[in-house]
Amino acid sequence: MEPMDIVGKSKEDASLPKATMTKIIKEMLPPDVRVARDAQDLLIECCVEFINLISSESNEVCSREEKRTIAPEHVLKALEVLGFGEYIEEVYAAYEQHKLETMDSLKGGKWSNGAEMTEEEAVAEQQRMFAEARARMNGGAVAPPKQPDLNPSLES
Amino acid sequence: MRQPGTYSGMLSANMAGRVGPHSLPLARIKKIMKKSGDDVKMISGEAPIVFSKACELFIEELTKRSWMVTMQGKRRTLHKEDVASAVVATDIFDFLVNLVSESTTANNVTDVPEENVGTL
Repeated sequence: MEPMDIVGKSKEDASLPKATMTKIIKEMLPPDVRVARDAQDLLIECCVEFINLISSESNEVCSREEKRTIAPEHVLKALEVLGFGEYIEEVYAAYEQHKLETMDSLKGGKWSNGAEMTEEEAVAEQQRMFAEARARMNGGAVAPPKQPDLNPSLES
Repeated sequence: MRQPGTYSGMLSANMAGRVGPHSLPLARIKKIMKKSGDDVKMISGEAPIVFSKACELFIEELTKRSWMVTMQGKRRTLHKEDVASAVVATDIFDFLVNLVSESTTANNVTDVPEENVGTL
């Protein structure tokens, strides 16, 4: 049975690994649910198309800002523009989490204020940066406050 | 630290929808990004990380919406027609309409609502 994504379009050479995708998909469903193979293939194709879509838009956002490298902020803006604004919170949180985890192994990175942060401080710092990024995305309508003990309540 | 957003909370009422340690390979994502257009700029090392998470959320939403269609049909196996229905029913998935209708036409599937076909 040939997978349906081999249609001779050169843009579809790169796809996502089926095994990883299958695991991710199955984890999101109750354990007794089956996913037909054609459905799995289609979900993978949809995901690739999603990347294409967001990439194109990110590319444009990047151009409009006259930058030469697509940065995470361009991607977040693209998500918002294309109607995936609800993803932004989690995506940004995951991104910040990743940065913190990477920083862990490098002591004295620029996120530490001299002393190592406790987890609470790291979380507060994360939320502060998160609020700043959101303010930036709102066109600077809300000036991001610089004080360290920003009220961590988030609007959802 | 992971909390479901209000939206995904609606869809995952009684499902443990959180993804395990698997995540998508960043190099592969970067490759797809580069092929997405003719004039793609350089990609920062961090952009694929953001994409990886966005993809997870996307798959989560699409999978769960498809699953809801499956349940409405009182079935336990998710078929691609369910994915197609979910795509057609969701505005932000408009960009997928052609993709799913190409796949499903090959298998003689009906039930694609008229309004969403032939938008070109």
